[in-house]
Amino acid sequence: MKFIVSSNLLLKQLQSISGVLSTNNALPILDNFLFELRENELQVSASDLETTMTARLTVDMAEDEGMVAIPAKLLLDTLKTFADIPVTLDIDKENFGVSLIAGEGKYRLAGQNGEEYPATEQIEGGNGFKIEADILHNAISKTIFAASTDELRPTMTGIFCEINSEGLTFVATDAHKLVRYRRKDITTEESASFILPKKPMNQLKNTLVADDVPVEIEFNEKNARFVFKNLTMTCRLIDGKYPNYMAVIPPENPNKLTLDRSPFLNAIRRVSLFSNQTTYQVKFKIAGTELLLKAEDQDYSSEAEERLNCHFEGNDMQIGFNSKFMLEMLNSLETDQVVMEMSEPNRAGLILPLDSEDKDEDILMLVMPVMLNQQ
Amino acid sequence: MSSSITHTILSNRKIIHIDMDAFYASVEQRDNKAYQGKPLAVGGGSQRGVVAAASYEARKFGVRSAMPGKQALQKCPDLIFVKPRFTHYKNISQQIREIFLEYTHLMEPLSLDEAYLDVTRPLKGKNSATLIAHEIRKRIFQETGLTASAGISCNKFLAKIASDINKPNGYYVIRPEEASVFIEKLPIGEFFGVGKVTAQKFQKLGIHNGMDLRNASRALLMKYFGKNGLFFYDIARGIDRRKVEHDRVRKSVGAENTFHKDLLSEAELNKAMEEICDTLYLRLHKAGVWGKTLTIKIKYHDFEQITRSRSFSEGIHNRDSMWHLACTMLHANRHPGKPIRLLGISFSQLEAAENRPGRQLRLNLKNY
Repeated sequence: MKFIVSSNLLLKQLQSISGVLSTNNALPILDNFLFELRENELQVSASDLETTMTARLTVDMAEDEGMVAIPAKLLLDTLKTFADIPVTLDIDKENFGVSLIAGEGKYRLAGQNGEEYPATEQIEGGNGFKIEADILHNAISKTIFAASTDELRPTMTGIFCEINSEGLTFVATDAHKLVRYRRKDITTEESASFILPKKPMNQLKNTLVADDVPVEIEFNEKNARFVFKNLTMTCRLIDGKYPNYMAVIPPENPNKLTLDRSPFLNAIRRVSLFSNQTTYQVKFKIAGTELLLKAEDQDYSSEAEERLNCHFEGNDMQIGFNSKFMLEMLNSLETDQVVMEMSEPNRAGLILPLDSEDKDEDILMLVMPVMLNQQ
Repeated sequence: MSSSITHTILSNRKIIHIDMDAFYASVEQRDNKAYQGKPLAVGGGSQRGVVAAASYEARKFGVRSAMPGKQALQKCPDLIFVKPRFTHYKNISQQIREIFLEYTHLMEPLSLDEAYLDVTRPLKGKNSATLIAHEIRKRIFQETGLTASAGISCNKFLAKIASDINKPNGYYVIRPEEASVFIEKLPIGEFFGVGKVTAQKFQKLGIHNGMDLRNASRALLMKYFGKNGLFFYDIARGIDRRKVEHDRVRKSVGAENTFHKDLLSEAELNKAMEEICDTLYLRLHKAGVWGKTLTIKIKYHDFEQITRSRSFSEGIHNRDSMWHLACTMLHANRHPGKPIRLLGISFSQLEAAENRPGRQLRLNLKNY
């Protein structure tokens, strides 16, 4: 097995899949990239058993088909040092030794039998749909931060994906905050739902370029596969039932606060610096057309307050929120204005973008308050 | 009139005094078979040391606590001296106190080996102080392999007298009406609040026992002992108004179980753990708290005990998570070939389940 490839092209492809590599692999062979050569098409793969990512590229002067596992870190480190030059990889089929010839240099790496590399899960007879890369990128970015890190509730550590004739929904929640991202323009005839784990979704988010190439998503009971351009990612789905998130989204919220997003965000950011560093509590005191943000840290005798003009419909109220959550949510929205819908100081508050440019997109963010001290 | 009403109210209290039998010495005998049935002294082995505790075998020879080691050895030439292990005794004492706390929050430890319990309104068990005392003594023995004596009465003073009557490994109930019989015979030095100096003062007044004390007038007692004189006047009549002082803020909630037969298989242990989780779950609910730190306790058939803790970012309030975590911790830490006689789990770093200021509220997601 032998071929010639541009060092930059190979490096770029390996880098786009290297995020899957884990630092503590159960199987030592997973510290390698799998190289598979068929005619003049080279497939390179990285896997952590849960997720496998593959890139395809065309190589020159291919001789002998075959597969080999090559130590990932050493190969990446080596390729990074080259200017863009052609490199020759020559693999000894007997002992899987890898010779890398570049310019005047010759390097030998100890490869392993590619047959021992865990096979990628096949998805047969699965359902599927298509989505544009930038939309998928957006859907992941806007939800993933709300997913739980609590391994006690594995289903909540992922992004719940639901597709049917009415549209596509992505949901993530850690029971303190929740994001629901919905689109009407992507539909399937058959209804389906599954839970995507966080790690591969982060990897996907980083790999998806913000352009409109289509991403094909296929899935069955156990796995989902994302195919776009020359890349394929297959990941194991999280097994289990996602909590009934719809039941916790309050339908009626009499108190509606409308604000310019960016001044609101900046004010919370400043005030939160003075908040108690375990609760990050910021008090919202809303009266008439004024919102007073207040934070204090009694341990350090520091406090801050800031007034903002707002549009408010409803009864004057006081409510406390964790400012970290507020910042995450306001940061991931893009509209100039946002609406906060609330009912009681111990009930969920909703954050909704106002006048979004993307009319097919429907974003709802929910945040649970922090109990305020009496008075 | 008013005094007799007070008396009636006070007589309705149910106080238990629990006193471990030769505690330190019994622990050493429990942990080392070679010491069993032999005269043993904890402490006193060094040049000028005094005996901290003596086994009943040693007491037969007249060995007493606070006796210099040298003197003890003269009385009992075969006496075995053992170095005290106070941390060890303290851990066992804690184990015993956890048992008490299951029955009442009104628990006042006097030292590592004795405590008062007010079980007028017990948290569990039968509404009988005698039966509760019986149950507690039984559990102490099951869980530590040690014996305790109990005294049951309507106040601390009488309960303490009672615990001495059938010692070791016995109990006695002093009913209010029969209190005087016991008080009359009690040497004056054994009354609460009577130390060496006060005892001498009493002797000078010709007061040598409870009977003498009761015959002393209130005026006389007040003249010589001031305010304490009133206390002595009452106590000679079996009246003791002192409350069981419990200054202990609840820091943990736990549950545990000693098994009829020692358990070894994973399946048996998981099942046992599930039952304990159910109990603990109810207790947490009752107490209105969630805990952030989970501690498991494993006691092997040979009484070796280990505890392991793990902390989480937020309180655990789901029974299944509790069970899952407890089992994971159990199997990761237990000695796989060693039979287990007791399992326990407890939560500490408690947080109020309800509206505590600054608490981050959670969505009420069904089943999560």
